[in-house]
Formats: sequence, structure tokens, C-alpha cells
Amino acid sequence: MLEFKDATIKVGEWELQMRLSFIARDGEVTCVTGPEGSGKTTLIRTLMGFLPVKEGFVSVDGELLTIYSSHAFRQIMVYLPQQIQLLAHQLRMPEPEEPEAEEYGVWNDLMPAANVESTPEPLNAEEILMLAEQTLQEAADKPIVIADEPTAFLSPELTMRMMDLLCRQAKAGKTVLVTTRKPQVADYADQVIRL
Amino acid sequence: MDNGLILHTILGLLLLLIPAGALYWLERKKIPRLCFVFGRMVVQLLALCLVVWGLFKVDKPWLSVAWLVVLAVGMSWLVLKRCGEKRMTLMPAVAVGLFAGVFVVGMWLLVLVLPGRALDVRWFVPVMALLTGHTTAMLIRGVSTYLTALKADEQQYEFLRGNGILHLKALQPFMRRALLAVIQPTIANMKVLALMSMPLLLVGLLLGGLSPLRAFILMLSMVCGCVAASVLSLGITILLADKSLFDKFGKQQ
Repeated sequence: MLEFKDATIKVGEWELQMRLSFIARDGEVTCVTGPEGSGKTTLIRTLMGFLPVKEGFVSVDGELLTIYSSHAFRQIMVYLPQQIQLLAHQLRMPEPEEPEAEEYGVWNDLMPAANVESTPEPLNAEEILMLAEQTLQEAADKPIVIADEPTAFLSPELTMRMMDLLCRQAKAGKTVLVTTRKPQVADYADQVIRL
Repeated sequence: MDNGLILHTILGLLLLLIPAGALYWLERKKIPRLCFVFGRMVVQLLALCLVVWGLFKVDKPWLSVAWLVVLAVGMSWLVLKRCGEKRMTLMPAVAVGLFAGVFVVGMWLLVLVLPGRALDVRWFVPVMALLTGHTTAMLIRGVSTYLTALKADEQQYEFLRGNGILHLKALQPFMRRALLAVIQPTIANMKVLALMSMPLLLVGLLLGGLSPLRAFILMLSMVCGCVAASVLSLGITILLADKSLFDKFGKQQ
């Protein structure tokens, strides 16, 4: 169970959420909706312990979330981030090509140019679903699932499959918290929180 | 400086008449450039040799170590400049990493592998200079790969952290990429060493009067030392840079 109690979240000088209260229960899908910029991702990041709670509190199974306890809580959470399509290196490890010998005068004291790593090619919709399935499968024993706009890059058909996947997690007794801007995703939820 | 040395220097410089003559005949525009670059090189080389001469003259261990510290600080600035990194807060991490990696491996070589007294300036300076040169070049590749991979793949780090992986464990994919950036060119060069290229170090050892067998052993030790120092320096730098790169929430700064 996750609980936000009078929680105020601040990013820099910008107060994003004021006195937010809700409970996400075990065995239910709780959906947080709101327009772009309303603070859905910030709320998730606060829950993960990546951002502080200014006032009020957030608790996980009755235990207070702080920056010191957040890592322990993350160990019982599965997290599907908003930019999941950029996690290509979770599916495929990058293999840099072996450079030509003369390119680097290793024992001749030539200074090489700096390396610039580029953002990986985004995953396609099928791969996003595959990664989500794989992540949930690997963390089958974790009781909390947090998904930040998991259907943002999926077709309507794949959106259904993703939501079925998440609903199955809730049926298994897990707490499932999903953020979305899509009304069709909210239809799957047991509880909808509007920001 | 005796007259013989001056004469030999002049005779050596006379060899430049060949490329200068060829340029005069085919590409005169390049002659001023050649003269300028050559003049600059002479000044640089002379400055370097004067520093080494000073070190040799004083021949005190503390001064040799102090020289290595200054070299490490200077090279760390060069590493960050080459990496296009504006955060000078990373400089202590790079300088300490570079110094520690080079000093530990260098002392291993000087004490256990190479002949002569460990802190004898005649051995200390060339060995440490060679290790520092190689390690600096490899740190440029390793650190730039690590920093740009962290930026480009920020989502992967956050994904791993969000799924309960410890900070250092979540950094492993990035450390792997940095390590490969250091190791891959080394492997590529080892493949062709003494086959397609004659290493300058080996030439220097032979010129210094060592027998080919002894030069081979020293070259081998130095190659191993270079690889070890660069990997050790990279590891220490990455660990020390952590506080400058991430805030208390694990967010990149």
C-alpha cells in the first residue's frame, strides 16, 4: 500500500503539488491522470525517493519514505519509466567497434580525441512491451508496480496488452500505480486520481 | 656544452634542408608553417629537457614525487579540456586518479621489476612520464565515454535505480563502456605492435644502449604497466568523481 498524506512536492522554487492525499491499495490499479506538466512524473519520482517531500509525507506499507529509506523501498518496487523507449541498452548491450590500431598511437604519446556516446536508437512499440514483460517477470516477487505513462508510445492494441499485463499484476495482489494522459487507460483503473 | 655537441646539433638540423628543399620546389606556402612549428617544437622540447635536467641535477626523491604531482594536475586539466568538460569540480578526482594509478603501478615496476634503485631519478622520471602519457591518453577516452554515456543513457541509470539496484551497481553498464573505450585501442595496438609498427619506446631503449633482449623485457613490462595504470586510474577517477556527478537523491548534477 502506498499513501500520500498532505504531501507537498517542490522542484526548486516551483511548488508542483500542494497537500496531495490518496492511498493506492494492494490488489488495485490506481491511475493518476492529468494534463502535460501537471506533475505526474514528479509524483512518481517523489515516490521513488528521487525528489524530496516538502511537507506532509509519503509512506510505503505504513513506513515513512525518506531519502535514506528510499533505496530499501525501491527494492520492493518495479519501475517502468516514462521514457522506456530509450532503454534500448537494457535489451541489447552496446558493443563498441574495435578501433583501428593506427588510430591511437598508444605508445607513441599521441592524445586521442574524446569519445562521444550517443543516445541509443529508441525501442519500437513491440520491444517496449517486451521490456515491460521482462522487467515484471524478473521482479515477480516485488509487491509494488510503478508505471509512468507506460502506454505513451504504444498503439491502441498494444495499450490493451500492456494494461492487461498491469491488471494481472494487481490481480496477483500487488499495488499498481499508473500515470497516464489516455482516458482509455484510466478505464482499467480501480481508482483514478486527477491532478 | 662542448663544441662537439654544437657541431652535431648543427649537422642534425642540416637534415631539415631535405624536406625544406622539397617544399621549396613543390609547395612554398608550407615553408613558413614548417619553420614556425619546428621552432615551437624546439622551445617545447628544450623546456621539457630543462625540467628533466633540473630533476636529474637535484636528484631528490621528494622533488621527483612533487614533479609527478604537478604533472598529474596538469594532465588532469588536459583530460577535462579534451573531454569538453566544463565542470572543474571533477579535476581533483581526475588528478588523484591519475596520480594514484600511475604512482602505484610505477612503483611496482620500479621496485619489483626494473633494475636500479626505485627512486633513482634516472629511472623514476622516464617510467612515470611514460605511464602518465599513456594513462592521460586513455583517461581522455575513458572519462569522455563515461560522462557522455551517463548523459545519453540517463534513463537506463534511473531505470536501474528505480528497480532497487544500488548506485554503484547501476553505474556498472557505464563503467563497462568506459573500460572498453580504454581496453579496445590497447588491444588494437597490441595486435600490430612490432609487426606493423616499431614502438618509439623500443627504439629509445635500443638507442640507450640496451641489448635487444633486455629492451624486449623492459618494453613488455612497460606495456603491462601502461595498461594496468590506465585501468586503475580510470577506476579511481570514476569512484572519486561520484560525489561531483550525483546529488544525494542520485540525480545527475
